[in-house]
Amino acid sequence: MECLRCGNKDLAYFYKGAKGYYCRKCIKFSRVLLEEEPESFNYEVGTGVDEYRFDYELTPEQKETSHNCLKTLTHSDVLLYCVCGAGKTEISVESISYYLSKGLKVAYAIARKEVVIELGKRFKQIFAKAKVISVYGGHHEELSGDLIVCTCHQLYRYYRTFDLLILDEVDAFPLKGNQTLMNIAINSCKGRIIFSTATVDDELKKILIQRNVRTVELYTRPSRHPLSIPRLIYLNRYLALIYLYRVMSLMANQCIIFVSNKKECRNLYRLFSNFFSCTYVYADLKERNENINAFKENRKRFIFSTTVLERGITIRNISVIILNFSRTFDESNFVQMLGRVGRGIGNDEGETYLISDHYSKQISRTMDYLKKANSYL
Amino acid sequence: MRCLYCDRNIDKQTIKSVFLKEDELCPECRRQLRVNRKILDFDGMKVETFFEYDGIFRSLLLQFKECHDEALKNVFLYDLSEYINIRYFGYKILFVPSSKAKLEQRGFNHLEEIFSEVRLKKADGLRMIEDGSQEGKNLEERRKMSTNYVYTGAPHKKILVVDDVVTTGSSLKGVYNCVKTSAGKVKVLSLAYKCFTLHY
Repeated sequence: MECLRCGNKDLAYFYKGAKGYYCRKCIKFSRVLLEEEPESFNYEVGTGVDEYRFDYELTPEQKETSHNCLKTLTHSDVLLYCVCGAGKTEISVESISYYLSKGLKVAYAIARKEVVIELGKRFKQIFAKAKVISVYGGHHEELSGDLIVCTCHQLYRYYRTFDLLILDEVDAFPLKGNQTLMNIAINSCKGRIIFSTATVDDELKKILIQRNVRTVELYTRPSRHPLSIPRLIYLNRYLALIYLYRVMSLMANQCIIFVSNKKECRNLYRLFSNFFSCTYVYADLKERNENINAFKENRKRFIFSTTVLERGITIRNISVIILNFSRTFDESNFVQMLGRVGRGIGNDEGETYLISDHYSKQISRTMDYLKKANSYL
Repeated sequence: MRCLYCDRNIDKQTIKSVFLKEDELCPECRRQLRVNRKILDFDGMKVETFFEYDGIFRSLLLQFKECHDEALKNVFLYDLSEYINIRYFGYKILFVPSSKAKLEQRGFNHLEEIFSEVRLKKADGLRMIEDGSQEGKNLEERRKMSTNYVYTGAPHKKILVVDDVVTTGSSLKGVYNCVKTSAGKVKVLSLAYKCFTLHY
């Protein structure tokens, strides 16, 4: 017994209903009967929609990588292994255009809803003639177009439909550690997959070996800034607060301070709001957007944040401090947080600190990764 | 055994699960699914309800009805079925019919599955004149539902009309009115109530 959509083989998850056995592991995405094969979604891709145009010039490295990516796609899947801020979206555009010109179905799947809305607008500018559809929770009346941009959770609607699927940020929240969702995403595609990520963990490695995936690497960012190597400081949790106060008072530019949980985030905000102009944010905070906007518009100098700000935010001249007092952060978290620094083109500088009360393997792996990436400059 | 909703292992036991019967939800989920018994009055028709249509109850019912997850059928009336047996002793259950398209899609009648543990006898003979579901309808269209039912079954002394969620009460009112002519006593039961604001 195996569920065709989510790949579940555990017998405890099958239940016999009125229409036969079905899988309860992926029941939240509607019922899949064991005997019936789920229906694939059919739609037509229009002709002449493959034209694309950028408002800015790509760097030579980016052009070379996108050629490599398209070349590798002819015989196997691709892992786009790029440092954060390298422009993974722009690199995949050439492959998308090639597939669209042949009339094949392409989808771009990404984790969060806000990013889907933003990316949908960006793809509309890049592919001016194509009909770009963005699908996310609460917005799924129209499911067929030329190019589909959707959240990972919406991929269950398209069983074995796409010829090219781009899975962005595989190392991030919904796909990481969620085998069911990963299998649904993989089963929504009958052709090739592009996994795009900055770090590879053990679970992903298994899938990559299983699918025989080739790697395409890019270690330089279009801004040509090296990745910032943090100043490592080992201090007791309470002494670290004094050190943090000193660093903050000497800091010249804006700064994001990453902490591991929301309780700590709130407490540190209460303490430091007596001394500095600062604000705070975590995922289920009511004033989340207002606080982020206040920081973006430079009304507040410091922001205390959990991992919500680790992806998809670009601010010039920013510094990053990471407070690592519990064992929740891993390599991909560290790399993404430190990657907030130096993203803009031109003069863009910032400092990074990593304050920790213990030594861990994750930290040493992060330092190795940063050094390796910087050696390609 | 795993909790049917949150998928965690059930390692704790409650007094009810020891003495009454084994629970398919874990104690944490069961605590959230709180019974809040209320008797609502719709112009003289009294409706007994148990839950508020919100939070965990809403997601459980949606998973049961829309995702067709039949395993959840005994979750809702876990400790309430005995209560219904005693309170409505001698009544015959009459389910409010749902649309034929939905029934065929699901493969089971959701109300019959939920009330399968209740030992009362079932009555039938209630049907809709115009087939269709109430989903996405506004207040005006919902009010028309009150004349959409016909009862052609045998007359009984006591009848218990059962529905899952009551919002405006108009469809239950329609059933109540057409059953009342051929029965002595009619009582109405609904699993949940939905709080809503009127827009005039």
